Amino acid sequence: MTSLMTELIYLTGILGTLCLAIGRGERPRRWALGLGLLTAVAAAIASACSSGSVTELFGGTYRVDPLSQGYKAVIASALAVCLWLTERGPSESRRVEVYLFYLCSALGLTLMTGSTGFVSLYVAMELSSYSLYLLAASREDRRATEGALRYLLTGAIASGVFLWGVSILCGLTGGATFAALTQAAPALTSDPLFIGALALTSFAFLFKLSAFPVHFWAPDAYQSAPLAATTLIATASKAGAVAVISRFLIASGVPVAFAGWTGLLAFVSMTLGNTAALHQADVKRLLAYSSIAQAGYILTGLLAGTADGYSSAFFYATVYALMNCGAFLVVSAVAADAKNDNPTVRHFDGLADRQPFLALVLLLSLLSLAGIPPLAGFTGKWVLFSAAMDQGHWFLVLWGVLNSVVSLFYYLTLVKHSYLEKAPAGSQPLRLTPVTRLLALAIFAGLVFLGVYPTPLIEYARSAVSAIAG
Amino acid sequence: MSVPPIEFPILSTILLCPVIALLAVLLTPGRYTTAIKLVSLVASAATLVLSIWLCLAFNAKDPSFQYIERLDWVRSYGIQYANAVDGLNVAMILLTAIVIFCGILVSWGVTYRTKDFFANMLFLVAGVFGVFMTTNLFFFFLFYEVAVIPMYLLIVIWGSTNKQYAAMKLTLYLLLGSALMFAGFLYIYSLPDARTFDLLAIKQQVTFSPMVQNILYISLFVGFGVLAACFPFHVWSPDGHVAAPTAASMLHAGVLMKLGAFGILRIGVYLFPDGARFWAPTIAVLALCNIVYGAMVATQQRDLKYIIGYSSVSHMGIVLLGIATMTVSGFNGALFQMFSHGIMTALFFACVGFIYDGCHTRMLDELGGLSKTAPRISAFFIIAGLCGLGLPGMGSFVAELLVTVAAIGTYPVIGITSLLALLVTAYYVLSAVQKVFYGPENHHHKDFKDINGFQFIPRAVLVGCLIFFGVFPQIFLDWVNASTRALLGA
Repeated sequence: MTSLMTELIYLTGILGTLCLAIGRGERPRRWALGLGLLTAVAAAIASACSSGSVTELFGGTYRVDPLSQGYKAVIASALAVCLWLTERGPSESRRVEVYLFYLCSALGLTLMTGSTGFVSLYVAMELSSYSLYLLAASREDRRATEGALRYLLTGAIASGVFLWGVSILCGLTGGATFAALTQAAPALTSDPLFIGALALTSFAFLFKLSAFPVHFWAPDAYQSAPLAATTLIATASKAGAVAVISRFLIASGVPVAFAGWTGLLAFVSMTLGNTAALHQADVKRLLAYSSIAQAGYILTGLLAGTADGYSSAFFYATVYALMNCGAFLVVSAVAADAKNDNPTVRHFDGLADRQPFLALVLLLSLLSLAGIPPLAGFTGKWVLFSAAMDQGHWFLVLWGVLNSVVSLFYYLTLVKHSYLEKAPAGSQPLRLTPVTRLLALAIFAGLVFLGVYPTPLIEYARSAVSAIAG
Repeated sequence: MSVPPIEFPILSTILLCPVIALLAVLLTPGRYTTAIKLVSLVASAATLVLSIWLCLAFNAKDPSFQYIERLDWVRSYGIQYANAVDGLNVAMILLTAIVIFCGILVSWGVTYRTKDFFANMLFLVAGVFGVFMTTNLFFFFLFYEVAVIPMYLLIVIWGSTNKQYAAMKLTLYLLLGSALMFAGFLYIYSLPDARTFDLLAIKQQVTFSPMVQNILYISLFVGFGVLAACFPFHVWSPDGHVAAPTAASMLHAGVLMKLGAFGILRIGVYLFPDGARFWAPTIAVLALCNIVYGAMVATQQRDLKYIIGYSSVSHMGIVLLGIATMTVSGFNGALFQMFSHGIMTALFFACVGFIYDGCHTRMLDELGGLSKTAPRISAFFIIAGLCGLGLPGMGSFVAELLVTVAAIGTYPVIGITSLLALLVTAYYVLSAVQKVFYGPENHHHKDFKDINGFQFIPRAVLVGCLIFFGVFPQIFLDWVNASTRALLGA
């Protein structure tokens, strides 16, 4: 029971929110927000506290181990930030149910990190996805539901393809668990059908990761979703995807042909994401394209197929959630101030004068996304690419680093607006609530700390991965 | 003069000075500008004192690394925080300390976002110190990029003349160069014998095949060469120099470009001596392009800062030529040139910055006769100019002599051509001096105030260094000689 503590906390939170959802108006909404935050924090603590145990449950379809607990802690922390962002967003839905969806999607993501059977995985993925579809469409002003629809349709197609792949895999391996896959995989590595099935199955994961070729929902969904939901999609959902891919690849091994296919996707993702991001004026779209590029970097590390690769992917996913939280925290503060949920780069003009601390957090988050030392994103990229280089993927590594340089161009454009351009006449200093300030400070400290002294987290990730991969 | 060995981790102390000052500056509210400046000044003065002490306590006869500091950082990835000093970097640390000390003094007049300015300067200088000290490839890369990013902000916020373009160009060029380094470092790590980023361990454990040496050396050379403004990757450098604020130009041309040349020696030549020999003739040709092309373009410039920018390209060519000779005297000359050029350009930019602040122009045609209204700043500029054209008694003279002699021995044609390019240097330096400081007085600048007591100090320190090492070059050569010998295995 204790090993399922995190999941139970979410369930309790969900039941509580469900009860509150009977009511209407501001008071139950505030209660639901409080309950949600409490749930998220408790879940984060519970996952962190049980990070030493390894338990297999439900006939080998669900595992609780250090790796899953690590991802769960990341997801819960990201959820806490997102929930906090709902408070001030200009077009956040004021309905109580929204918090139910936040908690449901987080529960789904949490279940994803531990699923070791295809059925439990599918259920977990759909639970998180459907909640996210609803969240993406939950804008108060009812504008641009097109993005949410596109998100839903792409997701549905990806799920369908996933099921197709799983059905072939089950036929080939004779079971619906990852254990069966592990057992059968060595004999099948050169079977084209097996490779094809792996590729089809990975569609759903790539969708979650917003990697090519199922990336095109990202810019529209990011743009049309309310900011807090965008943040959840950009952070927790990505961490969940990395967790699933890691587990899936650990189970199946990475056959050469599959690595080639993934490498191609990584290559296209990086190139496409960065090229498209160069021309974006809408900051949410810009961050969406940057996330497509980042998906490429993560895939590069994952396709190494080694313990180093999986542990560095965990490290990077953590850092990625952190720096995206930082970026979105600033974006949401600017959006709240501008009363516009889709701030463009012009809304950032003069941010350094209006709120120097936020400008600094934005600067650090973006530089970290671009992989500049001594920030966490740099260390993350270093370990990620060093794992890939170990397996001889020098071209992807070189391409990834060159892409990071390209990405610096658009990240710096935003920095330039906040530091160089004059604030529009008559604009007031941007006020921050104490909690937001504290959150920003925590993100700031985390980015620097994990960049300068990543040792504890890296060592944790390595031991967590070796507990699975042996 | 014998100074007893230092008992505490001196290198980390030097590195920590700007870091602690940076934290102090960040925590100080922005309105206390004097406190911020004082903290920065004290920190830079401390690094200066410590690096002079280091130079004195440094045992020049011992070619191996000294004052080694090691601390496991991420053990499973072979990342160690490791510092050491030898003949190659001891003088570079001193150079950095001198330039930052003078740079902080020169920027005393910065009023716009003072706190951010000094924070960036300290951050940048911490990166530079780090690169010069570290013996771990991970930290080398980390510090290298740490030194580049503040440059972007320094130029883009406090710069002039087309600053946004120049800043972005500089950053992208330098980071593209570092991308090659990044891939190279990870490749070295991925070799089965290596599994570490420790430079010394790699040197001991790994034997690189000739093919690998050639490929890795040239990719690292291109990576570092961008920063060292090697032709044809130099195009970011003049624009960057011109756009940067005075102190940033000083650090940039004085120290940052030397990081590139230093990296070539410290990592490229150290790990891949055969690769270096293989590519040496090619590099010699590129270096000659630097020298000749830089000098020719400098003759056509009307903006004082552009003249110095292109002269830097030309002078860095001499450094690269020295490296390309693959001889002890060539290396010694290259290192000496790095040092004296660093001081000299810092002085140049310190003078031009002062003139620009007073006259609001840097165009040759709009200046004139300044030596009558401002004799002191004119004298400083002329001293830097004389050093630039290689006047005996100045550091550059010895450096250029060493490199040219070594080059004539190895590549006679290139060596002699580079000698001829020195005449071009003399031409553009003297004609600039003539136009700015002599000739008819421009009545627009009648109110131009000459340099006062306080602003006199940094320039005087730089001139003092130039003359001191020009008159006693042996002190410098003694520092580097044993290590360059060891580097070449001679």
